[in-house]
Amino acid sequence: MIQISDLTFSWPGQPLATLHISNLYIAKGEKLFLHGPSGSGKSTLLGLLAGIQTAQQGSITILGQDLGQLSDAKRDKFRADHIGTIFQNFNLLPYLSPVENVILGCNFSNRRAANLNSANNSANQQAVTLLEELGIDELCRNRSVGELSIGQQQRVAAARAFIGQPELIIADEPTSALDADNRDVFIKQLFEQADHYQATVLFVSHDSSLADLFDRKVSLQEINGACR
Amino acid sequence: MNLMTLAFKSILNRKASVLLTLFTIAISVMLLLSIERVRQEAKQSFSSTISGTDLIVGARTGDIQLLLSSVFRIGHANNGLSWQSYQYIKEQRGVAWTIPISLGDSHKGFSVLGSDENYFQYYRYGKKQSLTFTRGRAYHNAQEVVIGSEVAKQLHYHVGQQIVVAHGMGNTSFHHHDDNPLTIVGVLEPTGTPVDKTLHVPLKAIELMHGPAHTTGTRIINSNKHEHEHEHEHEHEHSKDLSALESEPGDLIGHPKTLTAFLMGFESPLYTLQVRRNINTYKPEALSAIMPGVTLRELWGMLDIVEKILLLFSVVVVLISFLGMLTTLLSSLSQRRRELAILRSVGARPRHIFSLMCSEAVLITVLGSLIGVAMFYLLMFIGQGILQAQFGIAISLSLLSYYELMLLGVIMVAGAVIGTIPAIRAYFYSLNDGMSIKL
Repeated sequence: MIQISDLTFSWPGQPLATLHISNLYIAKGEKLFLHGPSGSGKSTLLGLLAGIQTAQQGSITILGQDLGQLSDAKRDKFRADHIGTIFQNFNLLPYLSPVENVILGCNFSNRRAANLNSANNSANQQAVTLLEELGIDELCRNRSVGELSIGQQQRVAAARAFIGQPELIIADEPTSALDADNRDVFIKQLFEQADHYQATVLFVSHDSSLADLFDRKVSLQEINGACR
Repeated sequence: MNLMTLAFKSILNRKASVLLTLFTIAISVMLLLSIERVRQEAKQSFSSTISGTDLIVGARTGDIQLLLSSVFRIGHANNGLSWQSYQYIKEQRGVAWTIPISLGDSHKGFSVLGSDENYFQYYRYGKKQSLTFTRGRAYHNAQEVVIGSEVAKQLHYHVGQQIVVAHGMGNTSFHHHDDNPLTIVGVLEPTGTPVDKTLHVPLKAIELMHGPAHTTGTRIINSNKHEHEHEHEHEHEHSKDLSALESEPGDLIGHPKTLTAFLMGFESPLYTLQVRRNINTYKPEALSAIMPGVTLRELWGMLDIVEKILLLFSVVVVLISFLGMLTTLLSSLSQRRRELAILRSVGARPRHIFSLMCSEAVLITVLGSLIGVAMFYLLMFIGQGILQAQFGIAISLSLLSYYELMLLGVIMVAGAVIGTIPAIRAYFYSLNDGMSIKL
C-alpha cells in the first residue's frame, strides 16, 4: 500500500533535514498507529504522503505509484482520488451543510464521483447513508455545521474522508478534541467503515494510549533518522 | 456543486462585509451610469434645441450670448435690432423664411416670446421636427396665446382660459396689465426644449403690453369681445368644442420698433455664408449673425471640462469601491487559510483555489453592478421630473445603451482583474500551507 524508502526532506532555507526515513511499509487494509509528538516531523510526513510536498531524496510509493514521478497537478489529483483526510479539528466548511461537506471532495475527483455514481445511488443519498452509519441522524443533517458538537463534526469529517471509497485514510490527531467516550466511539466507527471499504488507515496521534486499538504501532521519533 | 456555487456560499457566509462591498460597488455603478446618462441626455437635448435654422441674427454681441438669449432664453440681449433692418435683410436673395423673435416679458416665471405665424410653420427642433399642438391651434390675432407643454402642466392652464401677461422678467413683477387678457388657443406638444417653457404671443400683443396708451381703443373693443366669448363658452359648460374659440384672423405684427433677434432659413445652404457676411458688415446697424449648429458646438465645448471632471469623479468613485472590495477580500483571506487548507485536503488544486477567489470577486462585481443598474433606474425614475422641470433635460428610461453596457463591461473586467490580487495570494498560501492548518 505505502512504501517509503530512503526518504529525506528538508524545508527550503533550512540546512538540516527535517525528515529522514530509511524504510516504512504499510500493508493494504492495515490500521497503523503512528505515534508522533510535536516536533517529530509528523506534519511534514503527512504533507509528503498527501503529495503537497515532494522529497529531495528517496521515494514514496502509494498504490504502486511513485509520488515523486508525478507532476504537482497529478499529485493533487492523486490525493483527491485515493486519499481521505481527517484533521484534528475545524474540519468542515462552515457555510456548507453536513451533506455538502461530505460530498465536497467529489468536485475535485472524477474517480470518487464515479465510484459514487456506479453505486446506483445519488451522491447525496450515499452521503446520507454514510452519515447515518456514523450516527448523524436527520435532525443533525439539517443543522448547520457550526451547530453540531465537536464529536458530530468529526464524524461528518470521517464521512467526507470515506465517501467515494478512497484506498487510504489519513487521520491527523482526529480525537484530540474529543472526550474519552466520544473518542472510543469515533475510533470504533472509523474502523467499521475502514473494514467496510477495505481502506488502509494511517492514524497519527501523540496519545499513545490509543495504540492498543490498532494493528500496529510505529513511533515516528524512532524511525525518523533526522530527529534528535 | 461547482466552484461558482462554492464561491457563492462562501460569500453568503461573510454577509456583512460582502454586503458593504456590494453596496459600494452598486452605488459607484449607479453614480457612473447616472452621470453618463444625464450627460448624454443633456448633450442630446442641448443640441436638439434648434434645428433647420441656418442663421440667427441679433444686435452685435457675442455668438454664444446671442444663442443663449434667443434660443435658450438665458440672459438678456442688451439691445434689439431695428424693424427696418429686419425688413431689409428679409428681402435678401435666397431667404426662404424668417421668424422674428421678441423676448423680455414673462408670465409667472415663464418667458413670453413674440413672433408671427412663421414661428409655427418654420420653427424646427430635434431632428427637423416641427411644432405640433396637443390641443388647439396657432394664434390668429393679438389677443391669443399658445403655451408650451410645461407651462400648461405647471400652471394647470387649458385651452380657452384667459390669462394676463405682465411686462418684465420674473414672476414678481408688480406692473401687471390686468386690462390686457389673452386667451389660450393652443398647447404645444412637449419638445424637451425651452419651447415647452414659453408662452407664444403675436408681436402685436407684446406691443400692446408695452404701449397701452397708443392703442387703447382697439384693445378695449377687442377685450370686450373676448369677455363676451368667454361667457359664451361658460354657457356651454366648458364644452371642449374648440369652435367656441373661433376668432377672426387679425394683425399679428402691429408696428414693432425693435426685435430681439430673428431666425433665418435659406433656399440653399450656399446662401448662408454670403448673407452672414452681408449681415456682419451691415452698415446702418451693428448686427451679428450666427450659425446655430456651430455655436452650439462651441458652447458645448466650453462645458467639456465640466463634463470631463464629472466623468473623472465617477471613475474615481468606481476605483474606490474596487479598493474597498480588495481590502475586504484580502483581509478575509488570512481568516480563510483554514478553509483553503480543507479544500486542498479534499483534492482542490492551487488553480482551483485561484479560480475560487477570482469567482468571488467576479460574483461581487456582477451582483454589485446589477444592484447598481437597478438603483440607477430607480434614481432616473425619481429624478426624471426634477430634471425636466429644473433643467429641461428629458431623461428617457430606455434600456442601457451600447456605451453604457460597455461601461458595465469595463467595470466587470476591472473587478475580475482586481480579484486576481487576492487570488494570487491565496494561490501561494495554498501552495505553502498545504493541508496543514495554520491559524
